[in-house]
Amino acid sequence: MAEFWSSLVAFFERLSGQFPIVFQALNSGFLQTLKLFAVTLLGAIPLGLIIAFGSMSRFAPLKGLTRFVVWIVRGSPLMIQLLIVYYFPGMVLKNNWWGSGETGRFLAASFAFIINYACYFSEIYRSGIQAVPVGQQEAGQVLGLTGGQIFFRVKLLQMIKHIVPPMTNEIITLVKDTSLARIIALQEVIWAGQAFMKGRSGISGELWPLFFTAVYYLVFSGLLTVLFSRLEKKLSYFRT
Amino acid sequence: MAYFEVNGVSKSFGSNRVLRGVDFSMEKGEVVSIIGSSGSGKTTLLRCITQLEQADEGRILVEGEPVFDAAETKRLSKEEKRRRQLNFGLVFQQFNLFPQYSVLDNLMLAPRLRAKKEPDFSKRREELLAEIKEKARAILEQVGLTEKAKQYPCELSGGQQQRVAIARALMLSPKILCFDEPTSALDPELTGEVLQVLKNLAKEHITMMIVTHEMKFAREVSDKVVFMADGVIAEEGDPETLFQNPRSPRLKAFLANTTL
Ligand SMILES: Nc1ncnc2c1ncn2[C@@H]1O[C@H](COP(=O)(O)OP(=O)(O)O)[C@@H](O)[C@H]1O
Ligand SMILES: [Mg+2]
Repeated sequence: MAEFWSSLVAFFERLSGQFPIVFQALNSGFLQTLKLFAVTLLGAIPLGLIIAFGSMSRFAPLKGLTRFVVWIVRGSPLMIQLLIVYYFPGMVLKNNWWGSGETGRFLAASFAFIINYACYFSEIYRSGIQAVPVGQQEAGQVLGLTGGQIFFRVKLLQMIKHIVPPMTNEIITLVKDTSLARIIALQEVIWAGQAFMKGRSGISGELWPLFFTAVYYLVFSGLLTVLFSRLEKKLSYFRT
Repeated sequence: MAYFEVNGVSKSFGSNRVLRGVDFSMEKGEVVSIIGSSGSGKTTLLRCITQLEQADEGRILVEGEPVFDAAETKRLSKEEKRRRQLNFGLVFQQFNLFPQYSVLDNLMLAPRLRAKKEPDFSKRREELLAEIKEKARAILEQVGLTEKAKQYPCELSGGQQQRVAIARALMLSPKILCFDEPTSALDPELTGEVLQVLKNLAKEHITMMIVTHEMKFAREVSDKVVFMADGVIAEEGDPETLFQNPRSPRLKAFLANTTL
């Protein structure tokens, strides 16, 4: 028992010595995580809407093609998609258009994440659009509203209310999914934590920094959960 | 020339010929009830009149002006279509209120958006918006919902929601106000308040077409009752004659199955 206690104390002493260095490294890794997260949302939120319209198109070939692509993207692992997006240009086309270094990896990761998440979002949007009863459209029509007015003044908020809960889930998943970019060596927070195993800034063979990265994800997804539940509450004044 | 005329309106869904040449007319200030068994095409007729569906054949005229003509080849602008459509109001069985807007805003949404099309809107903005608000308050009072102005549809009973829907339709002062089974989605104890509103409108000589299963009501308020069967008007007449002395066997059978 005493032995266990003393080794625990020793561990925390070591840890507190290393903490400032590790903390700084993890912070800059997490900044990259946040960047990937933000860029993905910025790209996938509008792109998802375009894909949603494509998948509901009355032009059968467009609808078929869109749904096929969505099926491929949603049905295969994001990790594989990352690898293909990053390595395909260089290995197969002999032209690595992503460019070299961290910038190239970030571009490739952003591309893969935006496409992947846009496909997920498109399905959520589609369910949101279809959830608004036709009666709303028709009520707007007989009141002489234009198509645009019906969409923006009547249907949009009802759609948003409907999609907030599934979008929250998907966005929380994105927080954690950014760690997959580690597979193409993007220097996000997991990569930063792992570096202390091999050795970095005079620290090596340490596993705790990697474990500690989980705290970043927890805090961030916790913040987002609070934010989105506020939004959900704000929209709870009406029922559809 | 009648105030409102429907001439030879037909409508098919695929191979299902739902309306088979409906002819019908009514005068200003009249109340016409449309009765008939389920599936006879009553809703489809109202939807063709209010132009939620496009009839395959026939013409619809208000005050002699065509508001729909299946033979018309010239493509109408969307605004022209809306202008014609606004001759009619429609109250749905399921109310279809806008859930995110308060009662008052449900009433004001469409008139406010229409007002923006007025040529002098930017100059008279305040005045026009104030007029709309005043009208909304007056109509709310008419349907007995003044105290509910700030509430949301989900906070109201079905009967109150339907009264709001009627008020919303009245805001645009349609020449002909159509109702598709306005009390069918309501609990029996809530139908009375809605029918009372309709009776009040009838007293004010609002021109109305009411699809209904409330035979007692139809008999009391209608100037004319129309019986539809299989996509045509099988019989029509003043309520007393129609209910007391039905001529066609179909109407006899229909009335026998209905409690007055
Ligand atoms: N949008 C539609 N598509 C296909 N069939 C329809 C549609 N709307 C109505 N129908 C058919 O038209 C017929 C008449 O329906 P409806 O006008 O609703 O009758 P009612 O209101 O008298 O009960 C029914 O057989 C119905 O199935
Ligand atoms: Mg019907």
